[in-house]
Amino acid sequence: METVSQEWQAMTRSVADKIRKSVGQIENMPAIPAVFLPLMRLLNAPPERVHLHEVIEMISCDNTIAAQCLRVAGSPLYGLAKPPESIKGAVISLGLRRVETILLTCCLGQVFPTEGWQVDPAVFWCHSLGCAMVCRHFSEKLSGADREKAYMAGLMHDIGIMVNGMAFPKEFAETIKHAIHEQIPLAEAELATMGLTHCETGRALAEKWHLSDDIVQVIAHHHAVERSEKAHPLVALVHLSDLLCRMRGLGYGYYERQKVDLADDPAWSILLREHSDLEGVDLVRFTFELDEAVGSIFEMVSTIFGSAAVRT
Amino acid sequence: MTAAIQVTGAKAAPVKAGLPIDPIFKQIRDLVYKVSGIFQLEEKLYLLVDGCGRRMNQLGIRTPREYWELLTAHASRDAELRHLLNELTIGETCMFRSQPQLDALRKVILPELVAEKTKQVVKRLRIWSAGCSTGEESYTLAMNMLEESERLLKGWTVEILATDLNDRSLETAKAGTYGDYALRSTSEYFKRKYFLTVDDKKLQARPEVKKLITFSRLNLQDDSKMLFMKGMDVIFCCNVLIYFDGTSKSKVVNHFFSNLNFGGYLFLGISESLMKLNDQFHLVHFPGAISYWKPSLKSGKL
Repeated sequence: METVSQEWQAMTRSVADKIRKSVGQIENMPAIPAVFLPLMRLLNAPPERVHLHEVIEMISCDNTIAAQCLRVAGSPLYGLAKPPESIKGAVISLGLRRVETILLTCCLGQVFPTEGWQVDPAVFWCHSLGCAMVCRHFSEKLSGADREKAYMAGLMHDIGIMVNGMAFPKEFAETIKHAIHEQIPLAEAELATMGLTHCETGRALAEKWHLSDDIVQVIAHHHAVERSEKAHPLVALVHLSDLLCRMRGLGYGYYERQKVDLADDPAWSILLREHSDLEGVDLVRFTFELDEAVGSIFEMVSTIFGSAAVRT
Repeated sequence: MTAAIQVTGAKAAPVKAGLPIDPIFKQIRDLVYKVSGIFQLEEKLYLLVDGCGRRMNQLGIRTPREYWELLTAHASRDAELRHLLNELTIGETCMFRSQPQLDALRKVILPELVAEKTKQVVKRLRIWSAGCSTGEESYTLAMNMLEESERLLKGWTVEILATDLNDRSLETAKAGTYGDYALRSTSEYFKRKYFLTVDDKKLQARPEVKKLITFSRLNLQDDSKMLFMKGMDVIFCCNVLIYFDGTSKSKVVNHFFSNLNFGGYLFLGISESLMKLNDQFHLVHFPGAISYWKPSLKSGKL
């Protein structure tokens, strides 16, 4: 990423070693909610093999998640004339796929504490959710792309930031100070102050959670797509969506002094190889459409996490 | 952390409560985008609804559907779209209209241009406000450049060229006297530093701000004159192209491409897009702002 002097590298190497060791044994990292993995399996199963009652039963096991799911399903974001009163109602009026993405969002929201963060959780979730929505919207324009997987990948791509904030609060606080002061991307600041990025720590957590391989690839390589071993187009899609979000007010809440040329990014050509229809995407209009969604993303985050947390 | 970056138009601006918007207005929105590249955000759709409303009143048209027919009928289409676009851009002008564009200019573009041109003997930057109207944008640019004159632009000469077709607008621009409305987004800091009080309602730009700007009359469709507009580093052309038809628009944009130095930038209005008018420009994003870039020679992207 950037060149650093040798002494400086030696100095940070010891910090990086220490951090790597502790990532290996993330003891105090949150466990994944019980319904999360079965839901993931459902998401990947062919629709005809999914039994509605199973899903409804699964969701209803977890009161908190069920309640959150209903709250989100009833929010103006989904434009239902009448908010659903039961999980069954939500599934019927919104469709299974929609409900699943709401659930996954709620699950993830529950995993991480709402206090003591180095990054404002509302800002973090607006970015993750924003990226998820952009990924899905983007993939709708590309024939053959898996929309729900794209949503999932966008939602999860930055979980390493939460790991950093929780496992290395002191070092990560320095990272953020550095990023804000220099107005540089977070990953660059992490590398400069900690010697590693949220991509590595995120990968460690994703592997611990047994997330599917392509999601692991996205988490590990969304800042350097060309380094990913597989799932290239998905990693490229998340990379581009992440950049776009950060340029349109859904970043990490500070000014990133940079110029982004999406169509000239290596990720663009990777995605183009798989989806030739990318050529026809009107990026400016796409950007304006994202601007339109910003308000509803803030709204959804405040619905899931309580209004107090969200700043616009 | 600091508050999230403000996106232009992202702040909640509720559509008139309780009034569902006729879906036909979304069709009109798409038509306006297709023809002019201006995109009316959903939360600002009420501006479009109001604009259409005013046109419908003037024409004595009762329903949005009838208005849609007028907008799409072959005979009336072009003229009516022009009227509607006039309605949509009324009162748009004020100083500091788009802070994200100014941030991109000062925080990213200036350092880049300064670094690229640092080996040149004459350290000179040229910015062109094309279609400057009554001068708000030109003065905003001048003030922002003056802010950098002791830092990034120390030892540099900055020229701001401001052109418009309308003589009356140019007279107003040259006078540099503005009231509350034009200054509604200008901070006290800038008002105090760069303006003199004329009376209790008006402020006038100080001579050192005026000195930076050359106002002159220019028709963007005058090909022979456009050829002479050389050596620009940045062009601002906000909400001007909408008044041209497809062919003249693309001619003007191609001129802009030649007018710019390699590595230069073209900014349009905040909700405006170049669409497919020119495929040599690179669309680039800055936080909250988009711009069209003419790649520098050393970038190897031409």
